Amino acid sequence: MGASGIGKLPRWLVAFTAVCLFLMHLPVLVLIVFSFNASKFAVTWTGFTLAWYRRLLERDDILHALQASLIVGITATAIAVTLGTLIALALARHRFRGRTIYEGMMYVPIVTPEIVTGISLLVLFVFLRMPLGLATIIIAHVAFCVPFVVVVVVARLAGMDENLEEAAMTLGADEVTTFFRVTLPLLWPGILSAALLSFILSFDDFVITSLVAGSGSSTLPLVIYSMVRRNIEPSINAISALIVVATSVLLYVSDRMSRRNEPSHA
Amino acid sequence: MPDRRAETLLRAMAAGSIGRREFARRALAIGVSATTIAGWLAACRPVGDGLAPAARAARDAAEALEPLGPIEHRLAIYNWSDYVAPDTIPNFAREFGVRVTYDVYESNEELLAKLLAGARGYDVVFPSSYALSVLVATGLAGSLHRAYLTNWGNVAPLFLNPGFDPGNAHSVPWQWGITGLAYRSDKVETPESWGVLQSRRYAGKMTQLDDGRDVIGSWLRYRGHSLNSRDQIELAAAKNDAISAKRNLRAYLSAPVKGQLISGDVWIAQLWNGDATQARVEQPAIQYAIPREGSTIWADNVVMPRSAPHPRAAHEFMNYILRPEVGAAISDFTGYGTPNAKALARMEHPVPYPTPDQLRRLEYQIDLGRETAEWDQLWTEIKSA
Amino acid sequence: MTALDMPPQAAGPRSAPGNGLRRRALAWLAPRPQAQAWTLLAPGTVWMLGFFLVPVIVMCAYSVMPRGEYGGVDPGFTIEAYTRFLHPVYLTILERTFVLAVATTVLSALAGYPVAYTIARSGRWKSLLLFLVVLPFWTSFLVRTFAMIFLMRDTGLINSWLIAAGLRQEPIPMLYTPFSVLAGLVYGYLPFMVLPIYASLEKLDPALLEAAEVLGARPAARFRRVTLPLSAPGLIAGCLLVFIPSLGSYLTSDLLGGAKELLIGNLVQNQFSTARNWPFGSAASFILMIVVLAAVLVYLRLRPPDTVRGW
Repeated sequence: MGASGIGKLPRWLVAFTAVCLFLMHLPVLVLIVFSFNASKFAVTWTGFTLAWYRRLLERDDILHALQASLIVGITATAIAVTLGTLIALALARHRFRGRTIYEGMMYVPIVTPEIVTGISLLVLFVFLRMPLGLATIIIAHVAFCVPFVVVVVVARLAGMDENLEEAAMTLGADEVTTFFRVTLPLLWPGILSAALLSFILSFDDFVITSLVAGSGSSTLPLVIYSMVRRNIEPSINAISALIVVATSVLLYVSDRMSRRNEPSHA
Repeated sequence: MPDRRAETLLRAMAAGSIGRREFARRALAIGVSATTIAGWLAACRPVGDGLAPAARAARDAAEALEPLGPIEHRLAIYNWSDYVAPDTIPNFAREFGVRVTYDVYESNEELLAKLLAGARGYDVVFPSSYALSVLVATGLAGSLHRAYLTNWGNVAPLFLNPGFDPGNAHSVPWQWGITGLAYRSDKVETPESWGVLQSRRYAGKMTQLDDGRDVIGSWLRYRGHSLNSRDQIELAAAKNDAISAKRNLRAYLSAPVKGQLISGDVWIAQLWNGDATQARVEQPAIQYAIPREGSTIWADNVVMPRSAPHPRAAHEFMNYILRPEVGAAISDFTGYGTPNAKALARMEHPVPYPTPDQLRRLEYQIDLGRETAEWDQLWTEIKSA
Repeated sequence: MTALDMPPQAAGPRSAPGNGLRRRALAWLAPRPQAQAWTLLAPGTVWMLGFFLVPVIVMCAYSVMPRGEYGGVDPGFTIEAYTRFLHPVYLTILERTFVLAVATTVLSALAGYPVAYTIARSGRWKSLLLFLVVLPFWTSFLVRTFAMIFLMRDTGLINSWLIAAGLRQEPIPMLYTPFSVLAGLVYGYLPFMVLPIYASLEKLDPALLEAAEVLGARPAARFRRVTLPLSAPGLIAGCLLVFIPSLGSYLTSDLLGGAKELLIGNLVQNQFSTARNWPFGSAASFILMIVVLAAVLVYLRLRPPDTVRGW
């Protein structure tokens, strides 16, 4: 909005927003603070400690699960972004029969409850006699990430000026050259945010992963879930704090990067 | 084991001089167990592999004595969370040079869902009695070769030949326990009956397990019925009792209730005795009672799925946990009873075997087969009430 | 693999050597727009058909087969699973789930709209505030749920503070009540509401509001007659994005609701685990999917044709 600023808004509106934002962050902030609390159970502050973080490092299962989560997240994101961007290009830049239906169909996986997706994939993998493990988790994650990638990249393409691509073609570049020299650089912020979304969806997924995971492929959410179910130790506060800080940094950096690459406000 | 005589018999059978039935009869006569004979017979199945009869006989004989070959370098364990001493697995891995993959589950159903769906790759799993009977009925449980279980003699007679696995053909007993009431002795009086859950006195400070079998089972016992009842009238009464208790319950909570007992959010909880023992380490006021109407006794078992990729390592692991010192360390950590008589003697906090009087009030859950869906509908109705 | 799939270094000017194959491929594709489009679509489409559509069809088949004793299905055909769903207890669950999802959506809209409005007009604070809205959304769902338990227990932070401050003698029961489930869902899905509303408010042309002001409309009227209608697409999209996951949620009612009430998500989950009734679980999934698809169709009807694609 052009001539506007927070000062011009009604006081109660600003206060309401502040309260909402505060409440949204309160639970996690409290968790982080208490990950340094010496007492194991009390919600009163009994002193500062790093013991719970040290205990995390001793747990092989957590480190192993982190490794599995990273492998799955990175691989699934790479595949999902490639497949999803191609679909988005076709939807935004090409006219073909059934395009509207195709676009509508893309929303179906997004709105399907996770439990349904997970169970049906488990049934399929078992039917195909595929051994459950990292591979099946990656396949499942790609399947639920692709539609999100498509939606984000299509939105970005819709805001892009098609004239630039046409100009490049007029000047003698073929489709491939135009794509890599013009379209891709312009599309980059969209692809980046799609990749980030896809990675975090994958990194955070519990429901589907728990169904298609096999021996030796437990990801971080599966380990956290069994810790939450027991909720005895503040180690879980510590691991939560680490995840929150890591995602904030990731989000902040990618925000900076996409801002720098952004040619104009779309 | 009378090795020399058994080997002679095996060679005789492999060479074709005695039949399989005759072999089994003579082997039994010299004291070889039926399970072992079955294993040998399975290993001695004739195969058309083009070997000279003599060579085949020699190989078959060797395989019959060593049906599983040398120990593999890997072992995949799928266990309940927090259900093994911290050093059990590392020590096993070091001693046997095996790389162990360790994953956890939270319920029998989670395990069954994976295995029934056809998941492979697990070498050792830990089903409770009723889940084990499902694995046996569906042919998913692998047969054990008792010859590898040299520590088998340590198992207490009480746990031999259970109804859910006759002859222990598929399972080694792991831990046993009782589902009763854990309570805060500093806040409440000893709960002597399931009926305490129906009184308003401690309303909002009590929980039952988030498991239909356990909740409906407790109310069946309350009226003096079997907790495996299939009688419509008994079940309907149990449902009504469960619903009248529900308004006093804080929640249906399973494992997480431990933390809430310690913190004092919950004062009386339907819980497994070992988890209560674990919680007592943090909060000494936590005590445990078995309601006078009776309750569930259960035994979890080590089972090798038929699809196990590393059967020899699985057997070595089972034999390892049957060692007295290993079994004692596990049960001291989990807080549950050990079925290993020699381990019991070495435990710091032994859980004594139930007395005959207690046993009369305790009952194993058995698989309900097709009735499972009807029980689930009851459970759904209780939750929706 | 398609021509466009080539790595960047392969993309040189048209006359680069060794590009005969690419030239021929492009020459073939040029007059065939359908083929161009489907070349791009093919890899992703194959993946989604194989790992989304096929499994869903398998589930559909399972829902009309007799149940196996130990899970799975037996051969045959029956609609027993669907008729079973007509039992009052299951209809109650469907109704409760629906009411909870509607309540979550309404509360999220009431809280989310003012927040989005403030952010859209916050000038230089905008990017910081947006970052703050998005941040919890990126934080692990399980971690956030655990944090809620930590706050709301009888011996949790809120109750200990209230008692320590002398405001209460006894703790207020918060955890394991319908309130905690609702709070958990709103907390979990609020960003889904704020972001689309913000996006549509951001695009709103300030000139329209100025025009309304010049024409004498009071602030309330300006909001009701101009801002609200123009931000309706964002509001509707936000409602959909909150409503749908609320319908399918099951972990929240387990972890925050103390498993005392079943939602349809829990029902589905139970059928595949404890009840070993796969056909009924599949049928319940399908009923859930149909409700969700109906909601999407309503949305597509309400959505004006000129809205930006995506949300």
